[in-house]
Amino acid sequence: MGNIKRRKFLKKTAAASAFSATSGLYPGIALSNWKASDSLTEEIQWNKTPCRFCGVGCGLLVATSNGRAVAVKGDPESSVNKGLCCVKGYHTVQALYGKDRLTKAQVRKNGQMVEVPIEEALDLVARKMQETIKEHGKNAVAMYGSGQWTIPDGYVASKFMKGAIGTNNLEANARLCMASAVTGFLTSFGSDEPMGCYEDINHADAFVLWGNNMAEMHPVLYSRILDQRLKKKHIKIIDLTTRTTRTSYADDKSILFKPQTDLAIANAICYEIIKNGWTNDEFIKDHCSFKTGKTNIGYGLEEKFKFSDQATSSSYAEFKKLLNDYTPEKVEKLSGVSAEDIRYLASIYGDPKTKVMSLWCMGFNQHTRGTWINNLVYNIHLLTGKISTPGNSPFSLTGQPSACGTVREVGTLTHRLPHGVVMNEKDRQFAAKIWGVPVENIPDKPSNHTVEMFRSLDRGEIRFMWIQVTNPMVTMPKLNRYRKACEKEGRFIVVSDIYPTPTTAVADVILPSAMWIEREGMFGNSERRTQHFNQLVPPPGDAISDAWQIIEVARRMGFEKLFPWKEENHIEEIWKEYRKHHAGAKHEMAPYEELKKRPGIQWPYVNGKETKWRFNTKYDPATKGYDPEGKESFDFYGKKDHRAWIWFRPYEPPPEIPDKEYPFWLNTGRVIEHWHSGSMTRRIPILHKAVPNSYVELHPADAKEQGIYNGDPVKLTSRRGTLTLPASIDQRGRPVRGQVFVPFFDENYLINELTLDAYCPISKQPDYKKCAVKIEKG
Amino acid sequence: MKKEISESRIVFIGICVVMMATSIFIFTKSLSQERSSISNELFAKKVSGTEAVFPDIAQEKEVFALAGKAKLLGKQSTYSSSERTLSNFYKRRAYPGAPPKIPHEVQPDMVGGNNCLTCHDNGGYVAKFSAYTPVTPHPGMENCRQCHVPETTDALFQETDWNTFDPPEIGHSALHGSPPPIPHSLQLRGNCLACHGGAAAVREIRSSHPERINCRQCHVYMK
Repeated sequence: MGNIKRRKFLKKTAAASAFSATSGLYPGIALSNWKASDSLTEEIQWNKTPCRFCGVGCGLLVATSNGRAVAVKGDPESSVNKGLCCVKGYHTVQALYGKDRLTKAQVRKNGQMVEVPIEEALDLVARKMQETIKEHGKNAVAMYGSGQWTIPDGYVASKFMKGAIGTNNLEANARLCMASAVTGFLTSFGSDEPMGCYEDINHADAFVLWGNNMAEMHPVLYSRILDQRLKKKHIKIIDLTTRTTRTSYADDKSILFKPQTDLAIANAICYEIIKNGWTNDEFIKDHCSFKTGKTNIGYGLEEKFKFSDQATSSSYAEFKKLLNDYTPEKVEKLSGVSAEDIRYLASIYGDPKTKVMSLWCMGFNQHTRGTWINNLVYNIHLLTGKISTPGNSPFSLTGQPSACGTVREVGTLTHRLPHGVVMNEKDRQFAAKIWGVPVENIPDKPSNHTVEMFRSLDRGEIRFMWIQVTNPMVTMPKLNRYRKACEKEGRFIVVSDIYPTPTTAVADVILPSAMWIEREGMFGNSERRTQHFNQLVPPPGDAISDAWQIIEVARRMGFEKLFPWKEENHIEEIWKEYRKHHAGAKHEMAPYEELKKRPGIQWPYVNGKETKWRFNTKYDPATKGYDPEGKESFDFYGKKDHRAWIWFRPYEPPPEIPDKEYPFWLNTGRVIEHWHSGSMTRRIPILHKAVPNSYVELHPADAKEQGIYNGDPVKLTSRRGTLTLPASIDQRGRPVRGQVFVPFFDENYLINELTLDAYCPISKQPDYKKCAVKIEKG
Repeated sequence: MKKEISESRIVFIGICVVMMATSIFIFTKSLSQERSSISNELFAKKVSGTEAVFPDIAQEKEVFALAGKAKLLGKQSTYSSSERTLSNFYKRRAYPGAPPKIPHEVQPDMVGGNNCLTCHDNGGYVAKFSAYTPVTPHPGMENCRQCHVPETTDALFQETDWNTFDPPEIGHSALHGSPPPIPHSLQLRGNCLACHGGAAAVREIRSSHPERINCRQCHVYMK
């Protein structure tokens, strides 16, 4: 808006000044390489939106002109990024303009995908869903969504599947990325999502990054940490990792550990803290309970594997006794981390004057003991009372823009409802009342979590699957099995997406989606911040939003009463209905009008105030004894006993460990340039040109031993698949000896054909960081 | 009659601007000694202050980040065989204001680490490239490759339909010889001399007077 005025003014002044001689002053400016659109006028508008990519949730200002997005800058008003973005954020808008954008619906006819009017495709989806339900039952249809769904998309999906159709076959890809964080929060605190917020960065004295390459994965937050270190010289950043990364180089100390031994290291830190009397005994006495759970809990590799944990009351004394197996010396042997380094870590957490922030993401969550390791880091913060206060913050980072907002808050998982779980009758009644459906519609048992959902598809129990905003044919572990499942006779796959992907390749119907600022929506980021964005540009061709696709299909199936909204204001209406599920001080969401005005608002939003630190009586209105002017105290109200639970969780080995036949660990992950399965970032010229393909990182000594040089083809083989890709030696990262690392963004090198579909039995989240492979010069 | 009034009003405003600019110019000269000591103080604060000032909107003090080098910049020979031009400047950006790509080879993380600032914090002539190093317009930020990435291929994954708007036009002085306004956002570009001062500056937008360090005394950002 400012720009139009400025430009017009400039034009006017230029015209008015008789002496203006621009061309004379600056001759020969030939911008021949500049690809500017002739059709673009000077009307440039800047509007706020959260970034499309990761869970940090940076505020952006996007410039639009003549119905196109043309530029980006960081939103200085956003408290998340304060005007700074990363290279993906600065170029997000280019993800809208790949030439192969899906603009028409496609339907498989005689084996070939044929373009059809979108109405015809939606008719077919509705008909196929009804036929499948009639023939095979409600649990034969499934929907697989995403942490990239906007909140309204996820809400409509939940109401449609659980309320209208009446199946709990609703999952989202956040199961593959955030589920262990959720179960970690629920088991320790009884309430999901971080107690602290990004502002903790401004208060902390030490940062411990647990298996988290923050410089590449959460770069804007990492820059905030670096900025603090530049200004306060005493600040320490410590990197605990299984692979040397860009972050390791920037940090003050980097500690390498063997895969899976983070469990033992965390316990050793607790052992050392207790041994040295660095515990906050008053805090423990007043605010903590001790629990033990089941052990030898398995890995979910068996078909229809079932597990439920059981909390057994324990005591501080028993907890101390159980920790005796985790002396620094014992753990040194297991983890490869010296006892001295373990004591150093304990001394940081243990120093009462040092405020500590622990940060983690996929290293903890994609872990066959993901829930446990989340519990264990909370144990460290609880024993020392370093929690829920500015700067003392165990902080679980997220990978997708609305993993928190859409999957965790809306509850688009098989066992969840927008408020509560399907197993609880009161929660079912509450949801049914708001939805206006009979409570019997909502089944009282969870059905399939993601891995099991694809196994069910393979076995034939699920016959119809609708996949939205995600690319499971790149991201599912043990991919060969699940791709074959999708391709099997008698399976019907609907895919809503914006570009052709390996997932649209297995589709029977492709629905073109309106993405991000081509429609109105909200995302929820890692720090409980809900961020609204307006539609800023029109979607291409027949593309419509994921939410509206579901509404159209639901109406065709006879559920029009449940989805009565008009297209012009359906997002507002959906938000108003959704908000009812979260009414109350523990989870209150901001009103629509406020969200529209501001660059994000944190929940619980009570009486016009955001809650920065939950469970703290000074900040959180849901606490017993809430008093903004009073002394800090705590109320962990998520649990019935109003205490945070300290769980004893032992070390247990991973299911597949390198052996003689498959002697290397395979670790997978990301690079800063690419996001998720790369279907958007690879269509952004600067990002693709920077990292055009995937590769396998080897330790230089391992490479030398095998006679492998940088760029050589290397053949990786696991028990599940084989892949040949170029070697990368001492480039972006360096795995430890005996480990290789492969980024997963590249659909031409499907590394997930090799990974194992073992998962954490509590969270059901697969482990993409550990399986065994052999390497050969290709 | 009406037309005449509006024209005379423009001329009147123009004359006022010239008079203001002249008086500011004279004032600046007489106070140049004093000003440089003030600016040094500001610079020192920026480095050692403990206030949490994550770089956000353009801050007034950023203007002075290169103040200590201003005289040197003014004396630098601007002759260089690989002088920066506006055309190249924009070729490296996806749109005006986008972070530029890294136009030269960089060491891998595991070999060279992240040492961009060795050159780009201070500037100076680099024989390897026969060029003066562009200085960062946002000093104090360390994770350079968060925003700037090199190219390893020319090929695209898929063709793109991307279009953007024209770069801002330059040289729009209200009057002949009066200071032109700033045609771009100052976000992360508050340190004017980085792009406009000395031999590393882009030719078409190089300031003739980098030693006058308080740029925004005369040049204003039109919001």
